[in-house]
Amino acid sequence: MPSVDVVVVGSGLAGLATAVRFAEDGARVAVVAAGSATLSWAGGPLDVAAVPPDGTPREGVANLAARPGHPYAILADDIDAAVAWFGVTMANGGLPYEGDLDRPLRPLPTALGATRPAAIVPAAMADAMEPWRPGEGLVVMGIQGDKDLWPAAVAAGLRQAFAAVPGTGPASITAVTVALPDLAGRRNRSALDMARRFDDPRQRAAILGRLGRALDGGPGGERRIALPAALGLADHAAALAAAREALGGPVFELPMVPPSIPGLRVQAVLRRRLLALGGRILLGEAVARVELDAGRVARVILPAAARETTIQAPALVLATGGLTGGGLVAPASGGLRETVLGLPVEAPPEADWLASRADAPGGHPIALAGIRTDAQLRPVAPLGSTVRRRLPSGVRIVGSLLAGQRFVDERCGDGVALASAWRAAA
Amino acid sequence: MTTTTDVLVIGGGATGAGVLRDLARRGLRGLLVDRGDPGSGTSGRYHGLLHSGARYVVSDPLAARECAAENEVLRRIAPRTIEDSGGWYVQGPGDPDAYAAGFAAACAAAGVPCEERPVVELLAREPRLHPGLLRAFRVRDAALEPWELIEANLADAVAHGAAVRRYARVTAMERAGRRILSVTLADERSGSIERIVPRLVVSAAGAWAGRVAALAGVRLRILPGKGTMLVFAERLSDAVINRCHPPGDGDLIVPIHTVSILGTTDVQVTDPDDTAVERAEVAALLSEGERLFPALRERRVLRAYAGVRPLYEPPADDGDGPGATAPPGGRMIRRSHVVIDHAAHDDVDDFVSIVGGKLTTCRLMAEETVDVVMRKLGTSARCTTAAEVLPGQEPRHNHWLGARLAAHEAAGGGDAGLICECELVTRPDLDAFLDERWPCSLDDVRRGTRLGMGPCQGGFCTFRAAGVIAEREARRGASLDGVADLASASAASFLDERLKGVRAVAWGRQLQELLLVEGLYRGVLGSTRPAVDVGASLDDSVAPRVAHAVG
Repeated sequence: MPSVDVVVVGSGLAGLATAVRFAEDGARVAVVAAGSATLSWAGGPLDVAAVPPDGTPREGVANLAARPGHPYAILADDIDAAVAWFGVTMANGGLPYEGDLDRPLRPLPTALGATRPAAIVPAAMADAMEPWRPGEGLVVMGIQGDKDLWPAAVAAGLRQAFAAVPGTGPASITAVTVALPDLAGRRNRSALDMARRFDDPRQRAAILGRLGRALDGGPGGERRIALPAALGLADHAAALAAAREALGGPVFELPMVPPSIPGLRVQAVLRRRLLALGGRILLGEAVARVELDAGRVARVILPAAARETTIQAPALVLATGGLTGGGLVAPASGGLRETVLGLPVEAPPEADWLASRADAPGGHPIALAGIRTDAQLRPVAPLGSTVRRRLPSGVRIVGSLLAGQRFVDERCGDGVALASAWRAAA
Repeated sequence: MTTTTDVLVIGGGATGAGVLRDLARRGLRGLLVDRGDPGSGTSGRYHGLLHSGARYVVSDPLAARECAAENEVLRRIAPRTIEDSGGWYVQGPGDPDAYAAGFAAACAAAGVPCEERPVVELLAREPRLHPGLLRAFRVRDAALEPWELIEANLADAVAHGAAVRRYARVTAMERAGRRILSVTLADERSGSIERIVPRLVVSAAGAWAGRVAALAGVRLRILPGKGTMLVFAERLSDAVINRCHPPGDGDLIVPIHTVSILGTTDVQVTDPDDTAVERAEVAALLSEGERLFPALRERRVLRAYAGVRPLYEPPADDGDGPGATAPPGGRMIRRSHVVIDHAAHDDVDDFVSIVGGKLTTCRLMAEETVDVVMRKLGTSARCTTAAEVLPGQEPRHNHWLGARLAAHEAAGGGDAGLICECELVTRPDLDAFLDERWPCSLDDVRRGTRLGMGPCQGGFCTFRAAGVIAEREARRGASLDGVADLASASAASFLDERLKGVRAVAWGRQLQELLLVEGLYRGVLGSTRPAVDVGASLDDSVAPRVAHAVG
C-alpha cells in the first residue's frame, strides 16, 4: 500500500502550490485530481485583490481582510511571502512574472475587447501595463481562422473601453488579421494548436515573418502589438523573445477563453517542480472515500476500474475548489454538498443564491459558499451554525473551497490560493 | 411616410405568417408587422410539438380532429421543419384506468390515428421510461421547429408580393366611426414612424391581441396562460412521450434537435410579457415528469423558459361564440381558435382578430381568417395553402446534428470553421444568414441558425458571432462603434439572459457552468455592462437573448 505524508486533492493553483510547498519541505506528497482543474481557464494575471479596482493588490488585501469571514482575515499576513514564493517559482521555471503587491492595478486588454484590472502579470503581458504615452498606438493582430480572437471586434471594444476614461488609452487602436498560407482552409484552430506552432522554431519564424510583413503596411510610429495568448507553451520564453524581435517593439498577449495558454504555462511549471521534488500526480482520479483512524485521516481510497487503490496518509488537503471547481455540488434536491468528506458547508439561504443580474454589485451571494476554517485552515462548523459534530482531524482546506470570498468580483482567487497553500504547508 | 396596403397583419407568429402567405396566394397585398423578430413571442416559446391531436380527443374532439388533419398537411407542405419522431401516450402506475380504457376509442371517434402496442415494445425503444408503464399507444406526434416554419411562410408570402416589417411596433390606430383610417408603426430600431393605410386590419397578435384590439377601441378579453418548460441537455427519448390522462402539468416530453423539452404548466397571468419562471413551477414539472422518466432529476437541465398561451374568453353573453359553453379556467378553455369579425360584435368594420388556437393548426387558422377577409373585401379566391409546398423544403436529415457539417464537407468545404460547436453552426452558415438579414440582433441569429442553443448555451459562440460581425463590418469600411456596442451589450445581456433561464434550475452541472462562464466573462475577460445603455444608441435588437433553448 503506497504511503505518503500528505494527499492533496485538486490540481488547480491552490492544490499544486500546496503540494510543491510540502515537497519543498521534504514531505512525500501525492496530488489526486479528477481533472486538470481551472488553471486551463486562468487568463494569466495573478489575481490577489482588486478592491477597489484602481488601488493596489496590497490595499485590496487589507480591505478584504477587514471583512469578517473573508479568507484574508486569517491569511493576510502570509500574502507577501506567498506571492514572493510564486514569483521565484515561476521565474525559476522559465515563466517570470512582473509587478508586485504595491503596483497599482491597471486596465489590461483582453480578447473580449474589454479591459480588466491587473497588477501582477506574466512577462508576456507586461508590455500592456505601462501607461500609454501620447501618440502611442496599439495594433491588435490576429490570425485568420482563429475563432477566439477577432481583431476588429477587439479593437472596436478597446476603443470604447479606453474612451470611458479619456487620456488613459492608446492614441489609436487598429486591427490586423493575417492569413497563414500553410493553414489556408483550416479554420478550427484553438489557442493550444497555435501555441504548439509557436513552440516550433521553424513554424514560429514563418508565422512571425508573416505578422511582421502585415505590420509594415500598417501605421508607423510608436506602437505596441497585442497578440492572442498563444506564444508557445513548452518554449514560451523563446517564442516571446522572437515575437518582440520580429515585430520590433513591445508585444503583449491578450487573455483568451479556454484553453487558456497562460494558465496552462503556470500549471506546467508547478507540475514540473512537483515531479522534480519527488511528488506524485494522479489525474483522472476522484476520491472514492477517506478512512479515518480515531477521527484522524488515515487512508485515501481511489476508485479504479479493476480494484480500489489505497494511499496511506495522515494528512489531507482539500483544494477541490468551490462550486465552480467542483469541490461543492448543488444536488437537485437542494442544499450544497462538499464532495470529498461531506464537510458542513457555509452558504447563504438557498433563495438568495443568485443575484437578479449577472453584473449585480458583489456578484452572486452563492460565491461566498465554502468551508469555514480556523487560522490553521482546519475545517470548523459554519458561522452561525449550532450543529456541533466532530469533524475529522488531519484535514486542511485551501483555495476557492474556503468560505467567505467572492473570487470573481474581488479578484482574490489566486492570492487566497497561494496564501492558503503557504499556510497549510507551514 | 405613408404606405398603403390591402391588409395589415399584426403579429409575426405562426398564425400571422400563415395569414400573410394565404393572403398573398389569394392575390391580396399584405403587410405583416411584428414588434420584434417573427417568432419571438409565443410561437418561439412553445414546446416544439406537432400535435397528433390525441391530447384533445377526450376534452375537445373538434380540436383533436383539426390537429390530426393539420398534422398531415404540415408534414406535406413543410417537411423540413418537422422531425418525424413519432409519439406515444403511456399510462403509468398512477394514471386512471378509465382514461386509458377509452383512449383508443376516443381517438378513433376524433379521426386521430392511434394504435395500442405492447409496453415491452415501447420500453425496448425508450429504455429511460418508467418500467412500470401499463399501456402504450402510438400516435403521429412529431417535433416541429417553429422559426423555420414561420420564415418559410414569410418567404412564400414575400415571393407572392407581400411585405414584412420586423421590429415594427403598432403604436396607434386612427379610427373614424366604424372605419380604421390608418395605423401608426414605430420602428423599434431607428425610432422612425410610418403610417399604414390598409383596407383591412388582421390582428394575429396572440396573447397580445387584447392590447392590439384596445388600440382600435375594441374590448377583446384574452387570458394569458403562462406555460413553463424545462430544457434538458440531451434527448431523453427518441419519440414524443405523453401521459395518457386528462391533460395536466409536466406530462409531455418532446425531443427536438439535441435537447428535450418537458412541458408544461398553466398559470394564468395578467401580463402577456410575464415569462418569469418560478422555482415552484420547476419543482412541479420535475415531480410530474418523474412519473414518465424516473431518473429525470439526475439529468442536466439547461434552462427553464415560459411562453404565454393566447386563450380567448368570449363575452359572457355571446351565446353563439365557439367555446362559449366551456367552463372558465386555463386548460379547460377550448384550444380551438376563433375568427372574430369586429364588424359584427364591436362596430368596427375593417378589423378582424384571430385568437386562440395552437401552432399545429396555424395554417387552418390562417385559412379561416383569410376566408373572412375575402368575404369582407368582396373578392373570392380558393385557398391553396394546404396543397402548395412551402419554399426551401428540399429533403434533408434536418434534425441530425451532423447534417450541416456533412453538407458542408460534401460540398468540398473542408474545415468549416465551427462558430458554435454545440449546434455545429459554421462560418458559412453564419455568413449566409448575415448576408440576408444584417443589421439584426444576435437573438435573430440564434433563431435563424440555432447558434447558442446547445449545451453551452452561447458561452463561446456569442462573442465569436460578434467577432464575425465586426470583421464583416470592418471589411466594408463601416464604423465599428455600433459593433463594439453590439459586442459588449451581447456579452452583458447574454449573461443576464442565461441567468434568467438558469435561476429556477440552479443546481448541479448547470449551476456550475453558469458560475464558470460568468467567471470567464467577468473575471478573465473583463466583461462589464456598457456605461451607456445601448438601448438608447442602437436599440433593443442588439440586446440579444441568446440563451433560450427552442423557446
